Amino acid sequence: MEENKLIAFFKRDLVQYIIRRVLMFIPTLLLISILVFFVIQLPPGDYVSAHIAALATEGELVDADYAASMRADYGLDLPVWQQYIKWVKDIIWTPTDSAYYRLYHSHHNWKYSFAYGRDVWSVVNDRLGLTIGVTAIIMLFQYLVSIPIAVYASTHQYSAGDYISAIIGFLGTAIPNFILAIVLMYLSYKWTGNANVGLFTQEMLQNGIHLYNFGDFLKRMIIPIVVIGTSGTCGIIRSVRAQMLDEVAKQYTLTARAKGVSEGKIIMKYCFRAAINPTVSGLGGVLSSLFSGSTVTAMVLNMQIQGPVLYKALQSQDMYLAGAIVMIQAVLVVIGVLFSDIALAFLDPRIRYSGGNR
Amino acid sequence: MRRKMNSKAVSLALAAATAMTMLAGCGGAATPSQPTDTTASTETQTTETTTEATTDIAASTEEVKVEGYSEAPMLADQVASGKLPAVEERIPNTDNVFVESVDATGGALEVGTYGGVINLGPAGGGWGLSRPSLESIIRYNTDGSYYPNVIKSFEHNDDYTVWTFKLREGMKWSDGEDFNADDITFWYYMCHLSNFDSKKSGWSALKEEVDGEDAWAVLTKVDDYTVTWTFVNPKYPADFIENGDFKWCWAPAHYLADLIPDSEDFPYVENEYWQSTGLSEEDVLSNAQKKNIDAATVKDLGKAVAYNFWNTSGIPTLNSFVLSTVPGNSSKDDTLCIMDRNPYFWKVDAAGNQLPYVDALHFNTTSEEGQDLLMFRSGEIDVIEIAMQDISATLADLGDAATLREWGTTNWGAYQITFNYTNTDENYATLFANSDFREAMSICVDRDQVSQLLTDGFLEPGQCAPAEGNVGYDAEWTSKWTEYNVDKAKSLLEGCGLVMGNDGFYKFADGSDLMITFLAYDGSADESYPVFEQYYKAVGINCALKNLEVSAFDEAVDNNDWVAVMGPHTSIGGASLKDRAAPFVPIAQAAEWYGEYGTFYATKGAQGVEPTGDMAKLVELYDKWRLTSDEAERETYQDQIYQIHKENLWSIAYLKAENSYQLVSSKLKNFADNLVWADCYQYANMAHYEVIFKTE
Repeated sequence: MEENKLIAFFKRDLVQYIIRRVLMFIPTLLLISILVFFVIQLPPGDYVSAHIAALATEGELVDADYAASMRADYGLDLPVWQQYIKWVKDIIWTPTDSAYYRLYHSHHNWKYSFAYGRDVWSVVNDRLGLTIGVTAIIMLFQYLVSIPIAVYASTHQYSAGDYISAIIGFLGTAIPNFILAIVLMYLSYKWTGNANVGLFTQEMLQNGIHLYNFGDFLKRMIIPIVVIGTSGTCGIIRSVRAQMLDEVAKQYTLTARAKGVSEGKIIMKYCFRAAINPTVSGLGGVLSSLFSGSTVTAMVLNMQIQGPVLYKALQSQDMYLAGAIVMIQAVLVVIGVLFSDIALAFLDPRIRYSGGNR
Repeated sequence: MRRKMNSKAVSLALAAATAMTMLAGCGGAATPSQPTDTTASTETQTTETTTEATTDIAASTEEVKVEGYSEAPMLADQVASGKLPAVEERIPNTDNVFVESVDATGGALEVGTYGGVINLGPAGGGWGLSRPSLESIIRYNTDGSYYPNVIKSFEHNDDYTVWTFKLREGMKWSDGEDFNADDITFWYYMCHLSNFDSKKSGWSALKEEVDGEDAWAVLTKVDDYTVTWTFVNPKYPADFIENGDFKWCWAPAHYLADLIPDSEDFPYVENEYWQSTGLSEEDVLSNAQKKNIDAATVKDLGKAVAYNFWNTSGIPTLNSFVLSTVPGNSSKDDTLCIMDRNPYFWKVDAAGNQLPYVDALHFNTTSEEGQDLLMFRSGEIDVIEIAMQDISATLADLGDAATLREWGTTNWGAYQITFNYTNTDENYATLFANSDFREAMSICVDRDQVSQLLTDGFLEPGQCAPAEGNVGYDAEWTSKWTEYNVDKAKSLLEGCGLVMGNDGFYKFADGSDLMITFLAYDGSADESYPVFEQYYKAVGINCALKNLEVSAFDEAVDNNDWVAVMGPHTSIGGASLKDRAAPFVPIAQAAEWYGEYGTFYATKGAQGVEPTGDMAKLVELYDKWRLTSDEAERETYQDQIYQIHKENLWSIAYLKAENSYQLVSSKLKNFADNLVWADCYQYANMAHYEVIFKTE
C-alpha cells in the first residue's frame, strides 16, 4: 500500500469500520452478558448453599435463618433477572453517592467475590500481571518456533526436516496437555529429585523475582512452555505450511521467479504474507487467552494464574467472580477480533472494509 | 498398616473425660461441687487434670517451674536493635507463664532449638490456618482430659451458676498490648452479643433458657485479670467449658474498637464497660479498608475480625503464629501464605525458652490432589496427610527421610449408607422403619470382599459403631449384622412384606416398584457404588446412584427429597455427645439419618416430622442429659443413647473407620504419634506446632 492510499484508508474506511464495529460491541456484549449470567446460575443451589456445605465439612452447622440472611445480604434472594440487571448496571456505572464509590473510588462495581471476601476486581488484578507475563512468554515461544518451522517445511516439502517437524507437531497436539505435564513432572522428579511443581520457589514467593533468581524462574518455566507451547505449535505449523505450499505454486510466484526476483523476497514478501493470513485472523482469541491462561495445564502444574481461579469460582458458585472473568474474556475476544481484522488489512491488500466500487 | 489404635489415646477417652468434667475445673478436688481455685498449682498444661481418673498422661507429668527465659535469635536481634522489649517484658512472669513440657499423649517433650520453617500444604477452608496456631480457652489431651490454656484457671460455684475465669497477668497480644479482662468484656458485649461475630444465636455455651426465652450470661469484670459469667440456671461443664464452639472469648479491643457498628442489624448492647461506638455500617467498612480489611458487608467484616480472625492480616492475636502482613504472603489464598512466630507468645518450654521454636509456618498452595505428595517427596513440604494405600510405597522411596504418624479416629465406620426415615412415601417410610430391612441391607454384603476390593484389605469389616478405644466401643455392636448371608437377607426382606416381581426385584405389597436411589455428593461413591450395587441386586433390591454436587445434595436432603444416601454428609456419631450432640440425637437440621425429625426439634415443632418410638426416646434422653448436673446420671443417659443406636443401626457401615495418617519429615522433632483426629480436638492443633522444632 502506498503512503497516500494508506492515509486515505485510515481516513475513510477504517474509521467508519471501527465505529461500526464498536457500536456492534454493545448488543454483542449484552447478549454475552445475559448468556454468561444465566449459564453461571444454571447449576442448582447458589453460593450460600455451596458455602454452607463447605462449612459443614469443617464441622460448622448453620441454621436456615443464617442462610436466608446471607442470601438477603448478597441480593441472592431476588429473582434472577433482577440480579442480572443490578449486576450489569453496577458494572457500567456505579453512582458517586453509592457506598461502593465512597469505599473504592471506582464507578465500576464488579461486586464481591464471596469466596475471597473481597472486591472481584482486586482478585482478578492479583493474578493479572503474572498471567499475562507467563502466557505472553509461552505464545512468543509458540510463534517463534512454529512459523520458521512451517516456512522451512513448506520450502523443503517432503524432506527429512519436514517429516520430523510434522511428527513433533502432531505429537504435541495429540498428547493431552495434562498428560504431557505429568510425564514431564515425573521425569523432572526422576532426574533432578524435584518435580518442579508451581512456577516459583518459596524464596521467589517471598522476595520476588530478581536478576539473581531469574535463572531458577526460567528453569521452572521449561515444563509449562513445552506443554502449553507445543500444543499450539502444530496447528500453526500445519496451517502456515499448507498455505505456503498453495502460494508458492501460484502464478504470481512463478511470474516473480521468472522475472528474477530473489527467492527470499518471493517467500517472505509475497508468499508468507498471504500464508500467514489465517493465523492472524486467529489472533482474535489471543488477548483473551493472555488474560485467562491455560486452565487445565495450570492446575496440573500448580501455576497460580487466572484459569484455576475461574475454575474454582465456577465450582463454588462464586458467581460474580466467575461472571467477571468470563465477561472480561468475552470483551477481550471481541476487541481481539477487531484488532485481527485490522491487522489483516495491512497484510492482505485484497481485503477492504467497505463494499463495492473498488 | 493395621490400626494400632491409640488405646491410651482415645481409650479412656470419654470415660475419663466425663469424670474430668468437674475435676478439671477444680484442681483435682474430689468433690465436684467444691469450688477450688486451680491457680495454686497450675503452671503446666496437665496439672489440673492430675487425678487417678486421667491415668498415665497425668501420671507422667510433673509440675515444671522455670527460672528464667531465653528467646529465638531473630527476636534477640530485634531486642538488641530496640525494636522489641526484652523477653521478660513480653511474656508473663514465671508464676503466670505456661510451661509446655509434655505432648497431648503425655510424652515428655525434648527441649528444642530455634529457627527454620515448617512447610505445610494448602491452608484449605476457613479454619485451615487456625489448626496449627490457635490457642483456645482449654486444650484436650488424647485421653479426653483437658486443662486451662489461654486462661490461667476456671472454677464454678456450687450450683454451677457462676463461672470464674482467671487470666495470666503479663500476657500480651501479638502487637505488644496488654491482654486483660477488658478484651473479654469487649468481645462479649461488643462482638458477640451485638451479633457482630454472627454467632450469638448459634453458640449455646453462653446462652440459656429463662422463662421460655433465650437469655445470655452476664459477664462481670471482677478485676483486670478476673471475670465471671453468671447464669440464672445451672450451666454445666458440658455446655460451657467443654462446649466445642466455645474456643475463645476475647478480642483485641484496642484494635477493633473502630470496627464495631451501632446499627439496626448490629445494635449496641447496653453494658457498663463499653459505650456505643456510634459508627454506621458504612463507617466501619471504611475504617476496615483503612486497615486493609476488605469486606462486602458488615456481616462479612464481623466474621473476618471477630470469628475467623486468624485469616485476617494485621489483627493482633494470642496464637503461636500470626498471619504475615507482607502483601503476597498475607492471605490463605496466596500461593505462599506465611504465619510468623508471635514475638509475645506466652508459652515456654521446660528450660524457659520462649515458644514457638520455628520462625514461621509456610502454607503452600496446590491446585490438584497429589501435588502435595510430590512436594513432600521433593522436600518442599514437611507434613502431609496421606492415604493408606500410598504409605508403604512412599516410605519405601523416602527411607529415613520421613516418619509416619497415625491419628486415631472418632468416626463410626466407613462406607456408610442411611435411609430417609421421614420419607413422604408411606411405603418407603414403613419399610425403612422396619429394622429387619436394615439388617437385610447389612448382611447382604460380603464385607471381606468389599474390604479387598475397595481398600486392598486395609480396612477391616465392621459396623456403624464407635471405633475401638473410643467411648461406647462395644465389640458386639461392631460385629452386629455383619455376617454375610444372602438367604437370610432374602427371607428378612420377605418378612418385611416385600414381594418378588417378575424382573427379579422385590416390589412393595401393593405392587408398586421398590427402587432405592442412593444420593452421593461430589463423586464420593463413584468407586464404591458399583461394588455394593451387585450385592443389593443379587438379593433382589433394585437400586441406582445419583451423584450430586454437594450443595445440591444438601438441598435435596433439606427438602426431604431423597430415599437413601451413600456416604452421608453429616454422619452419625462421633467422639461423644458433648463434643457435638447433633450427630447423635435428632436435634438439628443436619444429619441424614434422622432427616426431618431433627428439623422438628430445631424449629420447636414448627416444621419437620415429630419423632416417634426410639427416635423420640433419643430426644427425651438428650434433654435429660443436657439438664442434669449429676455426672453419673449423665453417663447413664449417654449409655442409653448409645444402646438405642446399637439396637437400631439407623446407619449401616460396611467397614471399620479409617484412621488418619500423616507423613512427617524426619527433620521435625517433638511431633507426637497416636494423636486423635477429631473436630473437638481441632484436628492438627493437637500436634502443638509451637513445640515442634526442625533439625537440619
